[in-house]
Amino acid sequence: MAEMQTSDSGSHKKGSKKVRTKKMSTRVDLTAMVDLGFLLITFFMLATTMNKPKTMEVNKPAKEEEKVKEPPIKMSKTATLMLGARNKIYAYVSPDEIEAGTEITMDSIDYSPSGLRKFIQRRQKEVKEQWGNQDDLFVMIKPLPASNVKNIVDVLDEMTINDVKRYAILEPNDPIDSLIALQTGQSRK
Amino acid sequence: MPKVKIPRKSTSVDMTAMCDVAFLLLTFFILTTKFRPQEAVTIDIPSSTAQIPIPEKDIMMFQIAPDGRLFFGLDDQNTRLKLLERLSTTYELTLTQDQKDAFRLIETWGMDIRSLPDFLKMDPTARGAFNQPGLNIDTTGGQHQVEDLILFSRQENNNLRIAIKGDKTTEYRHFDKLIQALQNRKVNKFNLITSAKTAQE
Repeated sequence: MAEMQTSDSGSHKKGSKKVRTKKMSTRVDLTAMVDLGFLLITFFMLATTMNKPKTMEVNKPAKEEEKVKEPPIKMSKTATLMLGARNKIYAYVSPDEIEAGTEITMDSIDYSPSGLRKFIQRRQKEVKEQWGNQDDLFVMIKPLPASNVKNIVDVLDEMTINDVKRYAILEPNDPIDSLIALQTGQSRK
Repeated sequence: MPKVKIPRKSTSVDMTAMCDVAFLLLTFFILTTKFRPQEAVTIDIPSSTAQIPIPEKDIMMFQIAPDGRLFFGLDDQNTRLKLLERLSTTYELTLTQDQKDAFRLIETWGMDIRSLPDFLKMDPTARGAFNQPGLNIDTTGGQHQVEDLILFSRQENNNLRIAIKGDKTTEYRHFDKLIQALQNRKVNKFNLITSAKTAQE
């Protein structure tokens, strides 16, 4: 294939027939090149990170000292979710006025659609019945120290899925929170 | 009886088209690949239905390992250098040009700021193998190292967005410390990094 056309020595006679260059095929064997190409493709395919991570925006309420005094929200418009260890949520609704005989029911729910989502949807319905608009619902998310990042992401996600307009991540500093933490054996600090 | 002769056919196939396709794909993958930067710690991020992609640039990234160690990273190399200047004046670090160059190339790091020079003195392989102890986030002892990092970086590049990459299993108390530090610097808005997931019905 790759031979030089060596001219025959001493064959340059006058009037001899034209020197004919040998016609060579232009076809090259591409198999090796294709092999190499696919090898590299495989490498780059495996090295590529396909799905780019997404982000979730979180807005924390400003610290106490600079907070503008807002009128307190009616407790009957709220729902409190306390995120505990071992993927548990303790959900409760505070009454507007706490009196001697007030009882608070606390639900222990999980992160599945039948747990958290059902609770939020039930609460949205209750708020709608009482106040006429389900967007009035204010969800207070209070993570206990032993809950993990996945729990927070899951809860925030659930807020988006259920279209809860108002929610906040807060410290568990309500006396009721302490009581529940104590009852369920979760550390509060 | 004469034998039936089967005409011999050449076994070679025309490879040109295949070669074209292969190299076209190759070019595509080479151009789209962005190599994963070397990370100080592996973090398994939680998934969510959030659809906002991470901004391409101007990110200040905090990573929280499952054991609570905190790591810090800036995406822009020039900002990294400026930050190092600020840190070296505040913490009285003496750094050679080599150490500065090394810092410029580090994606994420996590240790007491005062031990940075020793870390930067190591050769790159030793640095990769070094088990970093995490940033000093003890906010009670009058140390404001994380706050300083946030403040200085934002002063050097005020378009910075803050991203937090926490492992699924990182406990909230570690996460909370970082948020306290951020809020001490009046940062009330930040991004949590998650991987995409479709909402389950």
